[in-house]
Amino acid sequence: MFRRSHVALVAACAVFAACGSESNDDADKGADTNKAAEGGGGGDPIKIGFLSDCEGAFGSFFEPTASGANLALIKYAGAKPAGEKPTDGVTGATIAGKPVEIVGYGCADDTADKAIEETRRLMEQEDADVLIGPLSGDEGIAVANYAKEHPDKTFVNGIAGAQDSTLKVQAPNFFRFHPDGAQWSAGLGDYAYNELGWKNAAIIGDDYSFPYTSLAGFVAEFCAIGGQIPKRVWAPLGEEDYSSYISQIPEDVDGLYVGIGGSGLISFIKQYEEQRGRVDTERMLGNVFWDDPLVLKEVGKSLVGGVTSAMTAADSDSPEVAAYIQGLKDNYGDEIAGAGPSVFTYGYYTGMTALIKALEAVGGDVADQSKLQAELAKTTLSGDEAPWGDVKLDSNRQAVSNVFLKKIVEDTTGDGVPDVQTFARVNEVDQTFNGAFSADTPAPDRDNPKCEAGEAPPWVGKAEDVSFAKK
Amino acid sequence: MNQFVTVTLNGLTLAALYFVVASGFTLIFGLMRVVNMAHGALYLLGGYIALEIQTRWFEDEGSGLGLSLSGASDTEYSVFAWFVPLVLATLIIGVLGVVLQQVFLRWNQGQDLRQALITIALSVILADQMLAYWGGISKDIAAPSAWPTSITLPGDVRFGFFRGVVVLAAALIIGLGLYLIIKRTRFGKIVRAGVDDRDMVSALGINVNRVFIGMFFLGAMLAGIGGVLGGTMISLAPGQDTAFLLNSLIVVIIGGMGSLGGAAIGALALGLVDAYADVYLVFGDVDLTNYSIIVTFALLVGVLAVRPLGLFGRPA
Amino acid sequence: MNPIVSTKRFSWPALIVVVALAAIAPLLVSDFFLNSILTKALWLGIAAASLIFLAAYAGMVSLGQVGIYGIAGMAYANLVLADGGAGAAWNPYLALIGALVIATVVGLGFGWIAARSEGIYFLMITLAFSVLVYYFFSQVTGLSGFGGINSVDLPGVVGSPETDPVPRYFLTLVVAVLVFLGLGALSRTAFGLGMQGVRDEPARMRALGFDVTRHRTLAFGVAAFVAGVAGVLSVFYNTRITPGSINLAQTIDVLIVAVIGGLYRLEGAWVGALTYALIDNYSREWVPEVGNVLGPARFNTLIGVLFLIIVLASPGGLIGIWDSLMAKVRTPRRAPAPKPVPQTIE
Repeated sequence: MFRRSHVALVAACAVFAACGSESNDDADKGADTNKAAEGGGGGDPIKIGFLSDCEGAFGSFFEPTASGANLALIKYAGAKPAGEKPTDGVTGATIAGKPVEIVGYGCADDTADKAIEETRRLMEQEDADVLIGPLSGDEGIAVANYAKEHPDKTFVNGIAGAQDSTLKVQAPNFFRFHPDGAQWSAGLGDYAYNELGWKNAAIIGDDYSFPYTSLAGFVAEFCAIGGQIPKRVWAPLGEEDYSSYISQIPEDVDGLYVGIGGSGLISFIKQYEEQRGRVDTERMLGNVFWDDPLVLKEVGKSLVGGVTSAMTAADSDSPEVAAYIQGLKDNYGDEIAGAGPSVFTYGYYTGMTALIKALEAVGGDVADQSKLQAELAKTTLSGDEAPWGDVKLDSNRQAVSNVFLKKIVEDTTGDGVPDVQTFARVNEVDQTFNGAFSADTPAPDRDNPKCEAGEAPPWVGKAEDVSFAKK
Repeated sequence: MNQFVTVTLNGLTLAALYFVVASGFTLIFGLMRVVNMAHGALYLLGGYIALEIQTRWFEDEGSGLGLSLSGASDTEYSVFAWFVPLVLATLIIGVLGVVLQQVFLRWNQGQDLRQALITIALSVILADQMLAYWGGISKDIAAPSAWPTSITLPGDVRFGFFRGVVVLAAALIIGLGLYLIIKRTRFGKIVRAGVDDRDMVSALGINVNRVFIGMFFLGAMLAGIGGVLGGTMISLAPGQDTAFLLNSLIVVIIGGMGSLGGAAIGALALGLVDAYADVYLVFGDVDLTNYSIIVTFALLVGVLAVRPLGLFGRPA
Repeated sequence: MNPIVSTKRFSWPALIVVVALAAIAPLLVSDFFLNSILTKALWLGIAAASLIFLAAYAGMVSLGQVGIYGIAGMAYANLVLADGGAGAAWNPYLALIGALVIATVVGLGFGWIAARSEGIYFLMITLAFSVLVYYFFSQVTGLSGFGGINSVDLPGVVGSPETDPVPRYFLTLVVAVLVFLGLGALSRTAFGLGMQGVRDEPARMRALGFDVTRHRTLAFGVAAFVAGVAGVLSVFYNTRITPGSINLAQTIDVLIVAVIGGLYRLEGAWVGALTYALIDNYSREWVPEVGNVLGPARFNTLIGVLFLIIVLASPGGLIGIWDSLMAKVRTPRRAPAPKPVPQTIE
């Protein structure tokens, strides 16, 4: 007895010791592969980790998000696509003379756990200097917290839109070059109350931080100018069966603001039609997902007449937008270019563009990243860098930019998919909604912000009429 | 009132789906004392196989990366485009169930814990392989285009046609069919005898292995049918396998392992409690609907505290 | 039933050698290895040990351990200063005690309900418990919600793991050794022997005047305490906890760790956990890509196949394989002793 388990434990030690040395071998091996991976230019490569979702409610946006980040490298760092799919990577990118390597296209599934697991892999095992990502709200909060614990690395948000990741967490090395979910809703409360004449509205959303934020933007504005919110319904993210949530939506309200996203939105629309006959879009507003090209393609016909808002507008006639879409088309073809107006593609594009700009300014120095972080904080984007509107950061490293109000209309281009018609632009939308949100106010959640009349955000009544020329 | 009818129908249709899946689980346990933890994996695989057949045989060729949120396309689906995948997927899953039983479970009959662990291992592998092949994005099986989206009941209550008519009818037919098989056929008699005393049945010279094969075929088939119904009514996605395994577990823990009637009662209890708790946990200004899971939990604990073997359970 | 389980004693010299090696590990390995492999294996091993303790000494294979460690972790994260959750901002040491008390009390409650069923019923009921805990924390945003709790405040003894992971590693190591010794000692007390009696002959024990249900409930309570320790350590390890950290996949993972190591020997918990952590982190590098079937992203297939092989071939886990190999080496002429077959009482 005695000797047997004795030997067993000693063997365990042997395994354990072998593991120790193995890890050193791995470190060496890692160094070798890095050298091999160097593209053009000389010196140590700048290593960038890419993090998005390839599973879960937003898994379909994996390739579009990668195409946005890659396009920035192609346009501003001389990269070439390495394959047909964006996640095949890029080759030959250099910034300030240094080669750039994407150490991996990390795949999460909209849970914070998977996002952190992938972040750890990219940053600690693959040793990336900078992370671009993630995609979804709670992933963003988790990564911002991770960033706070790792001040020597830099994190540029992908398209995660929860308010907390910049307003509350305030990691000095976490940057978001696009508006958050609440900012994207700017102007909708004004429109609902003053144009549509809603006095009270119900809201429904996925039960996690991004829809909390997205709907908070609507609630703060709508209630500030006098609206009421009698009912808030929340369904778990990734829910496939919305029937019981639909039956909770009251019928005696003026309108409904829908904050369901990703694959859930498709299920929601289908089941809403089953249960209520049709989607009464004249009494509905949608958040950023409603006019996403992938959503329009699948359930757009049910959404015609619906109004939504976000930082992009597919019908824009500006030459910068055309050049951006053309860039995607030239490198990845029509399908990816079709998703170009999606905020998912665009958020990763602006984030990567800002990162390249700042890296260029500090001479590609990633050894001491405080310089890079100081540079990013003052980086602004304009023209081709941000074709839908100039971007600057506030003191929380959160973008201040403009938002478009849009209506979904019948197909005008002949592809059978409904189109978007932009009718207004709200300028200079900031994260705090004129102080309604701050680090001290409760984070948006199921019950917050409370619906209270108060001082309206500065843009109320000032939305600028926009009418893009038909293409 | 309308809301109450809709909510009740929601509960009933979920119960119907739970029943179809859980009945297979409970029948296998009742006869063979095998807790098939891969039942949920068979459910999801059944749905995916049907989806694959539908996409390959009945859909226009797609191209490119196939960026899509639900995998839907513009194709018109005939009634065949739904029934052929249903039948084939169900049969394939049935056969797969038999293979699983013959390869992994036949030789260790009686070691129930080991069998549970084996099926857990298989479900881990199957789930990962399904993720690798079908991806992590939720997908729907398309119902025939000719079927209406919804029906209108008296009192102007609207309800989904597939959900309200097809799934409910399927559950009733399956329930009736199983009842007749168990009560009226020779197979059923052997099964009932086997539930009471397996050793005696084999001592009587009945080829127990053949009966076991038949039972696993039937039980797995029910998981497969459930997968196709669920994949059409709701969606197919990673995680649905464990969700339905768990639903089946709760249903049979409430109803009692091995009892068909127990599965029906358990499914009704779970479906209705879920549906009502989601909507009616509002007391004046206090909205507790977000805590509805506690009601499910209380249901389970309540039943177990009074009857540790479930409502219709008998000691093994 | 499991003749080799109960009387087995570990050897002090071997334990001392392992602990000594573990103690100098920070000098030998990289920070990444120390964190992601060793620290993780130690706390995961504690979670698995609570499962093995119940399985080996009480014959109860519980899938509820992750539910309970989730309760402990969530309780701790809610009680201290953190981003999300209740954020009660207690002193971390107080919160630690509070979390363990809550986990043990809830465990006793669970145990009281579940202990009246046996074998496979027990497995299913505890699984249902575990998953309901996951749903509970997903739904109740006041305590967690989908996004969970981030940036959890840690007690001073852990230091700041991001800059220096060594204190946290030693803390986890010490606790793991205490758990190992404590559970081993408990199994030799009157209570422990009673537990084993209940495991093997519940009817006879009942006839002897034993309150079988109470004994099983208490055993579950002890395991709940150990699982609670693992839960709090997992929060120290991650500095965060979300419902995703305590979902069904994690429940299955802890079971896999216990089974791979050896379901009937306490030290198997850490053997299994170390194996698991090594495969988890390094399989990407050496697993060949075979179409879609196998490759760097197919960790679950790999671990699932290993799990399957262990269950099919050696129910005693890696420890069991080692034991039978040693038995063969030492007594070449005799046939190997019949392998223990894990079995529950029907």
